[in-house]
This record gives sequence, C-alpha cells and structure tokens, in this order.
Amino acid sequence: MNEGARVPAIAAAERKAIEEAFEAEQRASKRRRFRRQVTLNVVGVLLFLALWEIAPRVVPGINLQMFPPPSHVVGTLGSMIASGELFKHMLASLARAAQGFLIGSVLGVLAGLLTGQLPVMRNLSDPVLHGLRSIPAIAFVPLAIVWFGLGEMSKVALIAWGTFFPVWLNTFIGVRDVPNVLLRSAASLGCRGASVLFSVVLPSALPFILAGLRQATATAFVMLVAAELVGASSGLGYLISFSHLVFRVDMMFVGLMALGALGFVADRIFVALLPRIFPWYGGESRR
Amino acid sequence: MDATVQIRGVSKLYPTGGQGASWALDDVSLDIRAGEFMCAIGPSGCGKTTLLNMVAGFIEPTRGTLTFDGREINGPGSDRGVVFQEYALFPWLTARKNVEFGLKQQHVPPAERRKIVDEFLALAGLTHAANRYPFELSGGMRQRVAVVRALVTKPRILLMDEPFAAVDAMTRATLQEELLRIWKEVGLGIFFITHNIEEAVFLAQRIVVMSPFPGRVKEVVDVDLPYPRDRGSPEFGALYNRVSRSFHHGELAP
Repeated sequence: MNEGARVPAIAAAERKAIEEAFEAEQRASKRRRFRRQVTLNVVGVLLFLALWEIAPRVVPGINLQMFPPPSHVVGTLGSMIASGELFKHMLASLARAAQGFLIGSVLGVLAGLLTGQLPVMRNLSDPVLHGLRSIPAIAFVPLAIVWFGLGEMSKVALIAWGTFFPVWLNTFIGVRDVPNVLLRSAASLGCRGASVLFSVVLPSALPFILAGLRQATATAFVMLVAAELVGASSGLGYLISFSHLVFRVDMMFVGLMALGALGFVADRIFVALLPRIFPWYGGESRR
Repeated sequence: MDATVQIRGVSKLYPTGGQGASWALDDVSLDIRAGEFMCAIGPSGCGKTTLLNMVAGFIEPTRGTLTFDGREINGPGSDRGVVFQEYALFPWLTARKNVEFGLKQQHVPPAERRKIVDEFLALAGLTHAANRYPFELSGGMRQRVAVVRALVTKPRILLMDEPFAAVDAMTRATLQEELLRIWKEVGLGIFFITHNIEEAVFLAQRIVVMSPFPGRVKEVVDVDLPYPRDRGSPEFGALYNRVSRSFHHGELAP
C-alpha cells in the first residue's frame, strides 16, 4: 500500500467543485484588486482637483485671476476648443515638432551608424560631438534666431538639434555593441558587406535606436516650447507667452494642459508600438 | 569526400591583459579527416577555442598554415558551419527565419528555401517550434536550432565550441544522441570542443588532448568503440580513464 492510499480519495465530482470554486475565487480577487486600483486612481485625481478648486478661495493673498480654479479653466478650455483656437495652436506646434524630430532623428541614426561602425569616424567626431552635446540645447535659441530668423526655420532647426543627440548616442551604443558572436555567426553563414549592416547590425541595434527616439520626443517638446516662447505667432508656446502678456492665467493653464496631453500621448504611442515592432524584445520580462 | 582540414605548425600570439603577450597555441599540427567526428579536449588556456576560431576563419595564425580542402583558409565561409556555446541565435528572427538565414544569403529561391528549412526543422524535431522566437525556446531547443541553422548551407565540416555546456545534464545526453544521429544522416565532419571527458569519449572517433601555457597538442587518442556507445561498458570506462590520465597528468602508461 502506498502512502497516498491512507487518505480517502476525493471523489471526481467533489474535486471538480473544489477546482471551480477556487478558480472563481481567483477571478473575483483579481477583479477586486483591479477595481480598487482604478478607484484609487480616480480618487487621487478628484482630490487634486478639489484641492486646486479650494486653495485659491481659502488661502489668503491669492486671487482667482492669478490662480484660476479648475471650474474657470474648464470654461476657458471649452470656449477655446469651440472657437478652434486651441486646435490651431496644437497643430502648429505638432507640425514643427514632427519636422524637427524627423530631420534630427534621421541625422542622428546616420551619425550613430557611421560612428558605431567605423572607428576612424568615431575618433574623428568624438570630441566635437560630445563637446556640443554638453551645451544645454536651449542655450542655442538666441543663436538660431540670429541665424534663421523668427520663422519656422529656426524652430525646426532647434528641435532637430535637440533630437539629434539622444538618437545619435543611443544608435552609436547599439551599433558598437552588436554581440560579436552574432557577427561571427552571420559571417560563417555567408553574410557579407551591406547584408551585414541590414541583416545583423541594424536589427540588433534597433531597440537602442527606439530608446533614443523615445528620449528624443521629450527633448523635442522642450525645444519646441523654448523656441515658441521667444518668438512665434502660433503654437502652444506662443499661446502661453501671449497669455502672460494679456494676463490670462486661465489660458496659460489650457496651454500647459495641452502640452502635457501631447507629450503623454506621444510617449504612449511609443509604448504601444514597441511590442509590435519587437515581438522578440524583452520577452523574458513579458512572460 | 576528401575534404580535410590541415593544420601545420600553427602558433598564435595573443596580447595579455596588462602588458606583453602569450602563446595561445604553440606549433600545433593536426589533420581533421573528411567525415570524421573529432573532439578537442583540454583545460582552459589550452587554445582549443583559438584553434576552432582559426579553422572557422575568424582569426589568423601568427605562424603556420591552415588549409581546408587544399585551399588556404582566409576568412569565414558557409563551407564551414559554426555552433557557439549560447546566445548565438538572432533574437529578432523566429526559429524558421534563423534556419533560413544562410540560404537567404545564398539567394536560394523562396520555394526551395522553404522546402529545405522544413526538412532540417523536421530532422531536429523542431517543426512545432518553427514560428517561435529564441526567447520562447528552451536551452536545448535553441541549440538544436543553432545546429540546423549551421547545417542548411551544406557545410563539409561543423565546428562546435562547447555547444552543450550551458544545458542541463538530461538535455545534454539527448542532444549528444541527436547529434550522432544527424552526423550519420547528413554525413559531414565534426570538430567538437568540450571540457567534458565523458562527452568526448561518447561522441568522438578521435580525441585531441591539449595542454595549456602554451597551448599544445599532447596526444591524439583513437576511440574505436562502435556506435551507439554504452557509458556503462568496461571498454568505455577504460577509454575514459586513458583520456583522463592524459588530461590530468601528462604521463601516459605505455
């Protein structure tokens, strides 16, 4: 007789009932945890809004013009959406950001490939590129205006400048650190010349390039606002700057919220795209 | 079937960590015969991986010559397949695309490519895993993919650098048996590096025992046991002891 036989066996029907009850409880507990998390999220936002609504009314020395509560801002937001004004500024900003981002990231990827693949190029450009990278990009705003004027050119150039460095650096690291064993595998399978670049180096570096691009979206928005604050006739940065001149803090808040929303959406798009582009990347952690 | 690797008086000088240099290989001569299964064994520093890398064409000897099929080896090529210890699969390609890689480089038409890949995936029992990425495969399955990836271009010799060192003992035994089956079915030479004496005696027709500092060939042991080999047989034990003595002490009983 084996040891298991001393305990009376559980009848099949009973076993099934226990399993079903267990699974139901697991599902219910998962639902409860999720509901609780969402509830807390919502409560957090409501608390923040409540505090913001009350603070300007009760703290002495603050008036509602200086610190408009959400009830005022919502009204302004509604009228700016209705008049199409907000949309116009967002579109102007997005167009600039997209152009600058595209130019900066294409140049960044090319420079990263060259410096990562060719030690000569790397050693030639290292001191200069790292020197330029160390200067805060915003410091170039006055120079860009002197060189390119107050039009679109200076804004696009500034955004491209800010985008270039994170893309270049990440691409460079990705290309430089392609595992040697992969290059050797490819070579022993007959992979030569340009095929090495497209079949091995680029795919291997792609996660790094994407990380650089994601970082660069944040930089692009910083440069966008910096450029628009100084001189522009449209865009969210201009909206904020203009609101300052006419002392409309509520409009300023709308501009800030629109910037936050754009940045948030841009980053979410990246996060959503990653697993589609790289079904193979970070697989260990997704499991 | 007369493709042989001829290694003649090969030495390799490597820079050491701080300053100076050391001989990873010192005056090594060796033949790998067509279609034979040869294992190289020795402690770390004996230059066995250096030797493999030179046959693969990844590095050049400081002195001496290496020829393959009568021609001097200068650079890697698909006539010599290589299987590395681990992580050598392209992580961005599925098992099928990894196996297909070498054929794509040779511009084999897609339909034919598909047929060859299916054949080799079946040979290694990987048909069900064809569309999985390397991260979705177990260690043993990854090594199977690596082996067939190296085989699709029909190399004359397969160079394997401690390929089963990173898998567990059970999987390793299975992989060894599968490798012997594939070796017989495909009919090619195998140069297999290991630091495991039992593995060498189980697999090889000839075992090259190497010694370190500087890397030299100490002895070539013939293993004339029929396949499949029985690890528990007295003949297996006797050969194990013989290789083990050569490996550890250097002096061999006559």
